[in-house]
Amino acid sequence: MNDETFLDERVDVVATFGTGLNPCVPVKLRRANGREITVTEIGLRHPTMQGKRMVHMFDVTDGGADYRLEFDSERLTWTLKLEADHS
Amino acid sequence: MNEGYNKARPLVLHIDLNSCFATVEQQARPRLRGRPVAIVNRRTEHTMIVTASYEAKAMGVKLGMSLKDAKKLCPDLVGLESDPPKYKYVYHQLMRIMNDYSAYVRMKSIDEGVIDFSETTAAMAGRDLAEIGYEIKQRLWDEVGCAMNCNVGIATNRFLAKTAASLHKPNGLDVITHENLRQVFSSLELTDLTGIAGQFEKRLNAVGIFTPLQFLDADPVVLKKMVFKSITGLEWHQRLRGWEVDKRDFPIRTAGRQYVLDKYKMPRHEVLQRLHHLCEETGSKVRSQGLVARGVSVHARSYSDTGRGWGGTFWHARSMASVPFFSNQAIYEQARKLFESAPVFVKEIGVSCYELSEPDDSQLHLFGDELARDQAITSAVDEINARYGKRVIHSADTLVTKMMREKIPFGSTRYM
Repeated sequence: MNDETFLDERVDVVATFGTGLNPCVPVKLRRANGREITVTEIGLRHPTMQGKRMVHMFDVTDGGADYRLEFDSERLTWTLKLEADHS
Repeated sequence: MNEGYNKARPLVLHIDLNSCFATVEQQARPRLRGRPVAIVNRRTEHTMIVTASYEAKAMGVKLGMSLKDAKKLCPDLVGLESDPPKYKYVYHQLMRIMNDYSAYVRMKSIDEGVIDFSETTAAMAGRDLAEIGYEIKQRLWDEVGCAMNCNVGIATNRFLAKTAASLHKPNGLDVITHENLRQVFSSLELTDLTGIAGQFEKRLNAVGIFTPLQFLDADPVVLKKMVFKSITGLEWHQRLRGWEVDKRDFPIRTAGRQYVLDKYKMPRHEVLQRLHHLCEETGSKVRSQGLVARGVSVHARSYSDTGRGWGGTFWHARSMASVPFFSNQAIYEQARKLFESAPVFVKEIGVSCYELSEPDDSQLHLFGDELARDQAITSAVDEINARYGKRVIHSADTLVTKMMREKIPFGSTRYM
């Protein structure tokens, strides 16, 4: 299969909240080990229900690897769920 | 019955997302764009490919091929496990866009839908449908993502609109009218026509029909009496000429799930745990539609002689109950009894409920307290699972199965 690492790591995220079709845009994240990742493109954002709680999944890339970020709209937390290197 | 071609203005628009699941993954992961991608349902080498990107298809990768075999053809192939919530999101986005044009939208499956402009407002139907088709393509790019492409087909009926949508993949837009119908059919094979494959192709061949044009010119009596042996023959005669015969909804008849076991020669008690799990999912499906069932059917496929690959013996059994049922436990009890006569070593199991109907409360009263209690417990569990997440409460028997992430809902969109 593909080189994917599944994670459940709370991360610090800088995001902008604006208008338009995609009002929430994660810009940068800092992992627990201090490594900073700058988002160069958001591939897809999709909401998903966990029971009655809505979380938003952001599939993003920094140009070198793909990441999946989960934003919990109830707890206002960001979690890194996946890191994938397809090279 | 209409003898000639339908010369009305084409007002049916069919939209088909190209290699849907692979394209959605390429949208989500920009680094995969332009690369061969295959979607599988499980993270193993022997699993079958359910969708391949156009780049993979160009290298000879086909649906149903094992990932291992596909990698021999295409060493750079990236295999990804399916992610249904993502595909459901795109499905809902496509449906939202389509609903902006008409109230008469029918989603045919997770990746295709139809807009019938014959029933929409004069202002909307007065627009050029090709222009609307290009507008929908643009909105898909703008509102979902720049990697998303769709095929659009426009015709006088659903069948020809779907045929038009398959003419130029990916990202085509075609219109079939009575004027170009023969020209389009002359470029197709019989099996390019939706609904003609295998057995029907043989039957058509047996009466000397080998091409879509010969099919189009066939005598309706021959189609009815010799090929399809039913009214279906006359429907094909109409369908091919652009007359609408497929504008109908079918009521739900069965609900169920099947599962390919995760290890060879699994002990019977572990198989039963997985069967129990399937029964819970089946019960949940039945109740989500507000229905009750009267029958349970189970099936299993045993190993082929070589022990690997498809083949093997197909076994099935079914039973009808005297009273309708709806709870997971009732379904499992019947399925377990039926499964007693199943082959010893199986590689695939499945369960489904049939004879589905609306609950008849007057019948429930006849069986009094016990059914009322069953109903109350089931409703309470369903409510808790809806609030806190799927399978927050489930039977202890299925704790260890660790199976079944949600899978792609092919076919019906009822549970989306």
